[in-house]
Amino acid sequence: MTELRTGFRLRVLAALVVFMFAALTTRLWFLQVLASERYRHEATNNYVRLVDVPAPRGRILDDQGNVLVGNRESLVVTVNRQEAGDRLEQVLYELSKILRVPVKVLVQRVDDPAYYSYSPVPVAVGVSDRVDYYISEYRDRFPGVEVVKTPVRDYPDGSLGAHVLGYLGQIQPNQLKDPAFAGYQAGDRIGVAGVEAVYEHYLRGTEGVVKYRVNSAGANLGEIGSLAPRSGDDVVLTLDAKVQRLAEESLSLGLTYARGIVDSSTGKHYLANAGAVIVMDPATGAIKALASNPTFDPSFFTQPHSQAEYNHQFGPATGDPLFDRAIQGQYPPGSTFKPFVLLSALHRGLVSTAQGYSCPAYWAVPEDPLHEVFNNWTTANLGTMSLAQALWDSCDTIFYPIGYDYWRLYYPPTNPPHLPLEQDLGATGFGAPTNIDIPFEQEGRIPDPQWKADIHQRYPTTFPDGKWFPGDFINMSIGQGDTLVTPLQIAQAYSAIMNGGRMCVPHVGLRVQTASGHLVRRIPNDCRRRLPFTQAQLEYVRQALTQVPRVGTASYAFQGFPFSRVWIAGKTGTAQVTGKQDFSWFAAMTSAQGKQYVVVALVEQGGHGSTTAAPIVRRVVEGLYGLPTTQFINVPGTDF
Amino acid sequence: MDLVVGKGLLRERRPLRHLDPILVFSMLALGVIGLMMVYSATHNALTAQHLDPGIYLKKQITFLALGVVVIMVVASFDYRFVKVYAGIAYVASLALLVLVRTPLGATVRGSQRWFQFLGFQLAPSEVAKLALIAMLATFLSELRSSELSLEELYRATAIAAVPGLLVFLQPDLGTSMVLAAILVGVLVVAGARARHLGILALTAIVLIFGALQLGVVKDYQVARITGFLDPTNDPLQGGYNRTQAEIAIGSGGVFGVGYLKGTQTNLDFVPEQHTDFVFTVVGEEFGFVGSMVVLLLFAILIWREFRIALISKDPFGTYLAAGIASMFAFQVFVNVGMTLGIMPITGIPLPFVSYGGSSFLTNSAAVGLLLNVHMRRFK
Repeated sequence: MTELRTGFRLRVLAALVVFMFAALTTRLWFLQVLASERYRHEATNNYVRLVDVPAPRGRILDDQGNVLVGNRESLVVTVNRQEAGDRLEQVLYELSKILRVPVKVLVQRVDDPAYYSYSPVPVAVGVSDRVDYYISEYRDRFPGVEVVKTPVRDYPDGSLGAHVLGYLGQIQPNQLKDPAFAGYQAGDRIGVAGVEAVYEHYLRGTEGVVKYRVNSAGANLGEIGSLAPRSGDDVVLTLDAKVQRLAEESLSLGLTYARGIVDSSTGKHYLANAGAVIVMDPATGAIKALASNPTFDPSFFTQPHSQAEYNHQFGPATGDPLFDRAIQGQYPPGSTFKPFVLLSALHRGLVSTAQGYSCPAYWAVPEDPLHEVFNNWTTANLGTMSLAQALWDSCDTIFYPIGYDYWRLYYPPTNPPHLPLEQDLGATGFGAPTNIDIPFEQEGRIPDPQWKADIHQRYPTTFPDGKWFPGDFINMSIGQGDTLVTPLQIAQAYSAIMNGGRMCVPHVGLRVQTASGHLVRRIPNDCRRRLPFTQAQLEYVRQALTQVPRVGTASYAFQGFPFSRVWIAGKTGTAQVTGKQDFSWFAAMTSAQGKQYVVVALVEQGGHGSTTAAPIVRRVVEGLYGLPTTQFINVPGTDF
Repeated sequence: MDLVVGKGLLRERRPLRHLDPILVFSMLALGVIGLMMVYSATHNALTAQHLDPGIYLKKQITFLALGVVVIMVVASFDYRFVKVYAGIAYVASLALLVLVRTPLGATVRGSQRWFQFLGFQLAPSEVAKLALIAMLATFLSELRSSELSLEELYRATAIAAVPGLLVFLQPDLGTSMVLAAILVGVLVVAGARARHLGILALTAIVLIFGALQLGVVKDYQVARITGFLDPTNDPLQGGYNRTQAEIAIGSGGVFGVGYLKGTQTNLDFVPEQHTDFVFTVVGEEFGFVGSMVVLLLFAILIWREFRIALISKDPFGTYLAAGIASMFAFQVFVNVGMTLGIMPITGIPLPFVSYGGSSFLTNSAAVGLLLNVHMRRFK
């Protein structure tokens, strides 16, 4: 009885065991027979590592073939936080001694949240061979530390053209999801500003790959195969390094010069804290120089840096050197705007070149019961003059009634609104980006009734008035009020005056070519858009502006200029910005020796247009045509 | 009872003719396969470290030889002596389990499981398995009735619970599970009622949940068990072992990639491969065919154990054999199951195949006991 029962129970237990073995067999059948192919594939992936070989990034050249941005091999020290583990602090301490960088700085660099904890973080670039030898000799003291040869950007001319060239930075997580960055990996360095960003896809090249056999620790057990990288294409710019240097030097000297001048209205020296100079070919839109001051050294971005180091370089106290005043700065255009207002008025038949206009000391809206007065820049009554003289003498009181006419004739707007002044200024490129091939361009602003109502609704304190007044047109007629432009828009608009009404899209890219110089792509000029003005109207304005440096508002600044050898025309501007000193503008068109240029200068808080900007432009023009350089001279600023 | 020593010795010679050759063959075959697998799993890493690639192989050969000696010694005396010393062995094993928690024990990867001496490690939990089997067999064979009362069942459970808890606290979840499997196996054979086993199971479930709630079970233990439910969840932690083990075994296919040719094995992708994950070497290098051969050898081993339980001349022998069979069956199932991804990852070695002296010698002693019961099956 007992033995029978025991036998039965043993069989129950045995059945359980049989079931367990059946389960194992079934699973084995699945893994090794049915799903084997997949696991074999995974096994191969397991032991084959693909290591990307970075392609040398394409160079950036000027139009003469001079290298503006090249590459050089640099020894980079990287720290893998995960591999260093508990010894990270000790490792950083050891590194600090041989790199001669404070531990605190290394800690900040290594804590960069842009890197995954398991990927190596560069902490020092451009270290000496000695550091490399030392670290490889004492490997055990540096767990997780590698010294790798990495190509880094090289800037033979330092900060020259920094705003145009841009710099590289780590690819952002949201960009990795963007199909435009397909094939990029976390940790890749991409162009994040300037030409580096716009022409990223040409400059980058194609990464090569080396297949290695590895063990589970990732140790290299030998190469299986490889695919060579294809280096990136070179980008040739329209920029001319010599002209760029000339523009930057002239701007920098001009700022220094302006800081020595006392602002008569405040009794203080001009701050002249920043400025921009643009040299453009009016026939094509090609940018020959684009300078913004203060500037920066792009090689900063080849070095690992902590947030603190970044702030030290580019924080608020530094005057925001990364900000490109030439394309991002938005300023009231002041009197540089007058030619375009006049062109619109001629186009709309509001004024006539055959007529004379009086230029009193002040002017008021005739219907205004309060009789609010708009002053000219001078308290003298200048008498009757032509529209041309109104330009070269920059008579505000002739332009006020023009602005008022737009109110009188076209306001309140019909539905759909017909806003002729806004429309004509828009056709001249204002209030919209020029689409230059440099990122983060600003579009300026041409105010209209709708805009004023909208902005008041959103910011009732900053913009207390939502209603459109005659004063809005009157202020716009002399480039003040809510009107804002970028220096680049001014350069484009003056180019159109000079070239007979063609609106050329400004560009810094000329062509893309392979490392060996074969053409990949020519970057076309785009001058398809036309100004709505007649050739006669444009010619009238050109002739008027020719008088500005000779007898007009810039005549002091152009004393002794060889007008017979170099044709030059231009317009001064003095823009008023609430709470700041006047902003100084000068826009010039020039032609000689078969070469044409438009040169625009802007100096923030630099006084009158003729005081600072005009002498800067003069120095640039002299350099462009090989004329002897005139020293900056203090001229009385008496214009608007 | 024939326990007179003088007379006994003369008779002892004769039972040797009644060895179970199939049991011995399957055990030795597994041992030899183990040697091959341990070498395959270790030679590459050792060579890379400029060490003798045969270090582990040589040690394992030593264990195999010692195992044979242990079998002969254990089989030489009448197994019923075990009944006399079972209590002492049981208490001694508990003492060792306590002592290993003192500074005398070595801490390896967070658990205190071994005594270290003469370059070898002794794991008292291995000894505890055998001591528990002996103690339970002794206790249950003394009972009169053919069915266990609930009280007897609780007392048997208490006997298993003490070492089970000590092992669990080391912490060694795997071995405490083996001890539980031994208990259940022996109880089933000893006539525990299904209803009572149900109550026991319920109590165990309540205790496990209680342990989870109170945080007695370490996070990593929970993670390893939940990792087996979703291996891709955390490929670098608990799931990594399992994923790599599956890749190794799956990539073996039907016939395997060939001895010493496994990339997963040679390149060290599977962790603990010469010990707990040794079956992945079999799977990768010998494929489905090789895996089935190994499983078949285990099936034969366990079949012979059940047979011995069945033909034993007394309940003590039956319970001993049943306990040992449960131990082997459970260890094989959990170990192979974990490499195949159907069981949670616990540190249970594969008997006779995994590298390791304590386990090899304990399992040899178990086989010795079985042979002993087999040889002396005639009343």
